[in-house]
Amino acid sequence: MSPEIALLNNYLIVGAILFGLGLIGFMSRRNMIVMFLAAEMMLQGVSLSLVAWSRFRNDFGGQMLVIFIIAVAACEAAIALGLVTTLFQRSGRLDIADWHALREANQPAFVDEPISEETSTEEPLPTLARAGVAPQVPPVKTDYRPNV
Amino acid sequence: MPEISQLLPLIPALPLAAAMLTAVLGPRLLRKQSHWPTVLALALSCTASLMLLCKVHREAGQEEYERSGYEKIVTLYTWANVDEAYESDLRLRSPEGTVVISQGRKPLENGRLRQQSPEGATVNSRRDDSNKDSLATAAPLGLYNSEVIPFQGFTSLANDCRPEGTKKQGATIKNFRIEIALRADPLTAVMLAVITFVSTLVAIYSIGYMHGDPGYWRFFSYISLFVFSMTMLVSASNFLLLYVFWEAVGLCSYLLIGFWCEKPAAAAAGMKAFLVNRIGDFGFALGIFLIWTTFGTLDFHDSTAMGVLGKMRLASPEPIVNGAVGTAICLLLLLGACGKSAQFPLHVWLPDAMEGPTPVSALIHAATMVTAGVYMLARCMPLFAASPFALHAVAVVGGLTALIGAVVAITQTDLKRILAYSTISHLGYMFLAMGAGTVLGVTAGMFHLVTHAFFKALLFLAAGSVMHAMGGVIDIRRFGGLRRIMPVTHWTFLIGGLAMVGMIPFAGFYSKDAILLAVAEKFSFGNHVDLVYQTLYWTTFGGIFLIAVYTFRPFLLTFYGKDTVIPPEAGHHAHESPLSMTGPLVILALGAAFLGLYLEKTGGLAEFLAGTPSVAYLNRYPLAPEPSHETLESLHSSIGRQSTVMVAAGILFTIFLYAGSRRRLADRLAGPMKRLGLYQLSFGKLFFDPLYRLFVVRPLELFAQACAWFDNRFIDGSVNLVGILPKLLGAALRPLQGGLIQFYALAMILGVLIFLGVLLL
Repeated sequence: MSPEIALLNNYLIVGAILFGLGLIGFMSRRNMIVMFLAAEMMLQGVSLSLVAWSRFRNDFGGQMLVIFIIAVAACEAAIALGLVTTLFQRSGRLDIADWHALREANQPAFVDEPISEETSTEEPLPTLARAGVAPQVPPVKTDYRPNV
Repeated sequence: MPEISQLLPLIPALPLAAAMLTAVLGPRLLRKQSHWPTVLALALSCTASLMLLCKVHREAGQEEYERSGYEKIVTLYTWANVDEAYESDLRLRSPEGTVVISQGRKPLENGRLRQQSPEGATVNSRRDDSNKDSLATAAPLGLYNSEVIPFQGFTSLANDCRPEGTKKQGATIKNFRIEIALRADPLTAVMLAVITFVSTLVAIYSIGYMHGDPGYWRFFSYISLFVFSMTMLVSASNFLLLYVFWEAVGLCSYLLIGFWCEKPAAAAAGMKAFLVNRIGDFGFALGIFLIWTTFGTLDFHDSTAMGVLGKMRLASPEPIVNGAVGTAICLLLLLGACGKSAQFPLHVWLPDAMEGPTPVSALIHAATMVTAGVYMLARCMPLFAASPFALHAVAVVGGLTALIGAVVAITQTDLKRILAYSTISHLGYMFLAMGAGTVLGVTAGMFHLVTHAFFKALLFLAAGSVMHAMGGVIDIRRFGGLRRIMPVTHWTFLIGGLAMVGMIPFAGFYSKDAILLAVAEKFSFGNHVDLVYQTLYWTTFGGIFLIAVYTFRPFLLTFYGKDTVIPPEAGHHAHESPLSMTGPLVILALGAAFLGLYLEKTGGLAEFLAGTPSVAYLNRYPLAPEPSHETLESLHSSIGRQSTVMVAAGILFTIFLYAGSRRRLADRLAGPMKRLGLYQLSFGKLFFDPLYRLFVVRPLELFAQACAWFDNRFIDGSVNLVGILPKLLGAALRPLQGGLIQFYALAMILGVLIFLGVLLL
């Protein structure tokens, strides 16, 4: 395996990893901003492989295309964030599942499984045998939203 | 004086312009003045027609037209012109009666060189027995052989327009060429004059009659449109144009019968007229198709090709077309004429057409449109002359219709329907005259057409005047003694009635006698006795008595009687009609009184009509040797005497039955008639309507219902089935569209993966 091909392989692997991470992120997250970032990541993965091929083939077309992609991605980011902001102002939430008006007319609406209101029960501190003064442990904040 | 080429297009153009003007401006602008465009246009058109008549009369009298007849063609526009539209091979043609034009064919060897026999010869080789065999052998070679010069002209012309090398021996080229071509010849000129004259008077009459009608402008617009169509019909110079305006007058008739379309009877009558006419028009259309396949042209005149009734074709003594094809053409044309002219068995629409306004009944359903069939027969007479069977059919249809109309008219109680049946009867007389197939017959039929237009329009308009005064009541049992309040109507009706029964010296006398003479001539002089014509003659001669009865019965019941009986519908305004209505009555009465005498004594009409190419053909090549003038005259005068006696007897009989207090006699006579069933037969109009209902309408309705069921269940069902398939498919795929973005993304990725998997495998 020539060094060029080895180098290409490395780049392609990184690009594929970037793409795969973006894909997984896009599919698994419901926060619109995160989904948008994941989509950008997929784009960057593709861009990377394009640059790698371009360099390998000594053809600058691919790099040119990547510059275009970056420019378009910038525009896209502006628009997407604008949309996300508007949607957030409407519902007060960033959850993409709130927006399912495009489904077929007689299909049941997606209903989120209710988030079980986990009351943070105070973990019993580890108790040790009284052997001195009890340590001062700060209370742990648990009111974050686990599914966001 | 303007030229014919300027006058002729003007005659239909003016009514068309008036129709459009009235239709556009009538509803908003003209309103109660809507009659002006129509009346002015028709008056101008009438003037133009009379000028045309004079002009044609002057030019047709010239010596060069004496033999072949006079015609002048004005081509306005070439509608379609396709060279080599149709090519046919000589060998494929029907052996009988087709005109085949081929190049370089040798003259026939049968020695019948027509040019060598003098024109006026009484012996006619066409009917000569000795030539029958040679004719049979000659027929497959075509009717026109090279010895006829014009025929070669056409051949060269047809071949000139083909590229070299494609010439095929024995093939004919047919140019499909349809022109808007108008013709001026004596027949057309006479028809135009009658149509425009009567329609002008009727339009003036309508000003009074239709006064205050909500559809005033619509009425005059339709009337103008009708006159346009009718003038185009009689001046058209090819069969297609004739057919187009044949339909157009049918349309106008439909519109005007159903003029008061909110009345169900009027709407139904319009529909009935239209549908019954469809049958006739269907036959006419088939006849035209057959003419096209036989002759390869539809023109009457010679243009690029030899016209069907063109002078070149008529110049030959051969029948225009003979054999089975010729008879078929003639019978189909006769069917068309029967529909339009309300002849048996298609006469049932005309009595119902009386639902329309009375001026319409007078103009369209008495004087002009219904005579279109007679005109068409006169125009196509050279085709009929070749087929004795077709001539017999025309005569039998005419005679039968004359009798049917007369029998039914006797017992009807609706004044307008009585007149409608009398129209049917008189049209039957005209058909009978045409069925004679002689110059005498054609001119007699046209003569009767002219006089009939006057006296029948007069009678209808007088009936309309009565109806106007009686508040729309037209049942003759409900009024009587009207001569005291409607003197003008009474006198004009009397003159019209006398003209219709054919009392000397009124118009109908001369024209009816001319018809009887034409029929009598068919069996009085020949060696063989033609039973058909003889039977028809005596039947129609007896019909004269019936004419007298059915004319004077309504006359006496309406205008005479001890007391003046007025129905309550008339209210207080039972009075003589206004001047716009009585004026046309008086003018028509003058025509009905003196026109026949004038035309008969000058002999101008028959002589003038004989200058039409179609009629001149009959004159040059008569079916049988013509009797001498003296024998004809003696026959004529004896017929005149007999018919006068018959008419007088009929009138006296009617007066005896109905006049004064003796009216009970009529009732007494009706008793045994009713027991015999004769009265019911006549009163029930010979039960044509129920019979048609049972044997035509009902089966058709059942068939239509079956078709509707098939359409709704089977055809619509299969279409609906196809429509259901996508619906089912959609229902199956619908759960996929849940609205969740992630699900869509997943579907895309799965799709890509499947695609990649397939690629890799």
